[in-house]
Amino acid sequence: MKLETKFNQLKKEGRKAFIAYFPFGFPKISYSNDIFLALQNAGVDIIELGFPFSDPLADGPIIQKASVTALEQNISINSFFANIRKIKKEINIPVVVMSYYNPIYKYKVGSFFQQLNKNEIRGTILVDLPLEESANYISAAEKSGIDPIFFITPATSVKRMEKIAKSAKGFIYYVSATGITGPRSLQYKDIKSHIKRIKEISDTPVCVGFGIHNNQQVKKISSISDGVIVGSEIVKFIGQNHKEKNFFKKLENYVRKLKS
Amino acid sequence: MSYPNQKGYFGEFGGKFIPETLSFCLKELENSYRKIKKDKSFKKEFKSLLAQYAGRPTPLYYARSLSNYLGMKVYIKREDLLHTGAHKINNALGQALLAKFMGKKRIIAETGAGQHGVATATAATLLGIKCEVYMGQEDMERQKANVFRMRILGAKVIPVKTGSKTLKDACNQAFRDWVTNVSGTYYLLGSAVGPHPYPKIVRDFQTVIGKEAKKQILQAEGKLPDYLVACVGGGSNAIGFFHPFYNQAKVKFIGVEAAGFGLGGLSAASLAKGSPGVFQGSKSYVLQDKNGQIKNAHSIAPGLDYPGVGPEHSFYKAIKRAEYEAVSDKQALEGFNLLSRLEGIIPALEPSHAIYYLKKLAKYGKGKTVILCLSGRGDKDLDIVRKYSK
Repeated sequence: MKLETKFNQLKKEGRKAFIAYFPFGFPKISYSNDIFLALQNAGVDIIELGFPFSDPLADGPIIQKASVTALEQNISINSFFANIRKIKKEINIPVVVMSYYNPIYKYKVGSFFQQLNKNEIRGTILVDLPLEESANYISAAEKSGIDPIFFITPATSVKRMEKIAKSAKGFIYYVSATGITGPRSLQYKDIKSHIKRIKEISDTPVCVGFGIHNNQQVKKISSISDGVIVGSEIVKFIGQNHKEKNFFKKLENYVRKLKS
Repeated sequence: MSYPNQKGYFGEFGGKFIPETLSFCLKELENSYRKIKKDKSFKKEFKSLLAQYAGRPTPLYYARSLSNYLGMKVYIKREDLLHTGAHKINNALGQALLAKFMGKKRIIAETGAGQHGVATATAATLLGIKCEVYMGQEDMERQKANVFRMRILGAKVIPVKTGSKTLKDACNQAFRDWVTNVSGTYYLLGSAVGPHPYPKIVRDFQTVIGKEAKKQILQAEGKLPDYLVACVGGGSNAIGFFHPFYNQAKVKFIGVEAAGFGLGGLSAASLAKGSPGVFQGSKSYVLQDKNGQIKNAHSIAPGLDYPGVGPEHSFYKAIKRAEYEAVSDKQALEGFNLLSRLEGIIPALEPSHAIYYLKKLAKYGKGKTVILCLSGRGDKDLDIVRKYSK
């Protein structure tokens, strides 16, 4: 499913998107597809599937630690695609990939987008690839019909916001506050006014991520944006509970509550 | 043509690969740097600090015994004689002044060997700015004396326990701090690496090495040297030394990387063993695996123990303006002993790599004139050398 279709559908239903992040290969490659399906069963609207990187300089301790574990499983972009292919038929929500630029640069941007297209992955988020460095990336994305998703943060100027909004497809990832990923308290007023400004210049849906870690925050952010992105909290839950019996069912229930 | 271009590229290397939040910080830094570069009071203060406080110009010393031993004319650019013991103070004073001009109240830095951390702590104390330094836990063990020095100077040293617990992780942590504290904090990066404009700023502040050396060698010899030799980790002493000679094509540049346990094993030789990649803000050579994950580096010299290298060095390699060689831990120790015994100068382990390389150069460079950049002194390394000798 395309991101645009999803957001239109949500609009009709009067709902906001709940986007869940988890890193591929954590705690083991064999877990990733079951985690995916548990999240889908929980009613997650979009999955942001992370491809871990050795030096995640925008991530806090939770995702850093998970990345280390995932990299110990010798993951590769090829195993990432091979794995997701196994559940392709069961997937009925949009999937976007989130990573850092180097693994994709090494794989070659063109080949990466071909693979995304083949595997029906609908969008990409690259944390350390700002607009200035994105010309090739954007044209490769366009060629394969995949949405390049860009960040806007509280530190982004209005002029820059306009430029980013022009290139951003799928949704705009608004970063709740300056800083790295991981739980924190949120300044709703600031977030609201920033989103308003983005809305004045763009029709692309705006989803908010970084720091969101409980049901109350999910509700509040949903009321002022087009969607919420929860990452570290889910990763933390996976880290703490994956050895338990009925883990996937527990994860499903946990996320269902988180998004309710 | 002058490098880098407006987007921060040296040929195909460089650029600004950073999270969106930092775009604002880097723009602010770029604009402020452009302004102060032309500012008379800044230039005056920087020059006076370098002279009165850091001890510039540093001597260009003709090393008679070493020259006799090698059969070459060897001059040594004595950056080891600077205040705090290494070339790092040139950049730290320049950037700390820049931070002050920008009205920043807090300086953060990463450090490997601790030399940049000490230099930053020193410059920050001098200018009355609060200072916090990220340092890998393993490096804190290896360079205890420098940790203590930073603390005496009033800086807070924050141990980094993630990843390889060395320079690369200290650098990640400093970026994470900066992305969180964007407005009041100045990130004082210590090598000619990272996103634009850092490779340019650090190079510019270090070119004092090459500019002085050029004048001094012309005075001593009446001609330019045949070779410049310097060690390369991130590459700030080398680029500051090489750059002023860029247009003199007859002067050959040799950068010496750390081969660690040997080029077949763990090393820090990004240019020899790495490939182009995007790491910590710029496109450059980097040690990485086939999946684009960054490898851990190893060198006996903590200041070279880094999997990346400055983009301008990658550019020099690509256009063949410089040659890059690699020297192992064991060979570096030989270089360390060589200079100590022949000249009574105890070098840091980083330039000890370059010293050893002179032995190789001597095989085909008999009678040639060489300047070696002695980027730092060896006091900080005595523990490592003692342990290794056992």
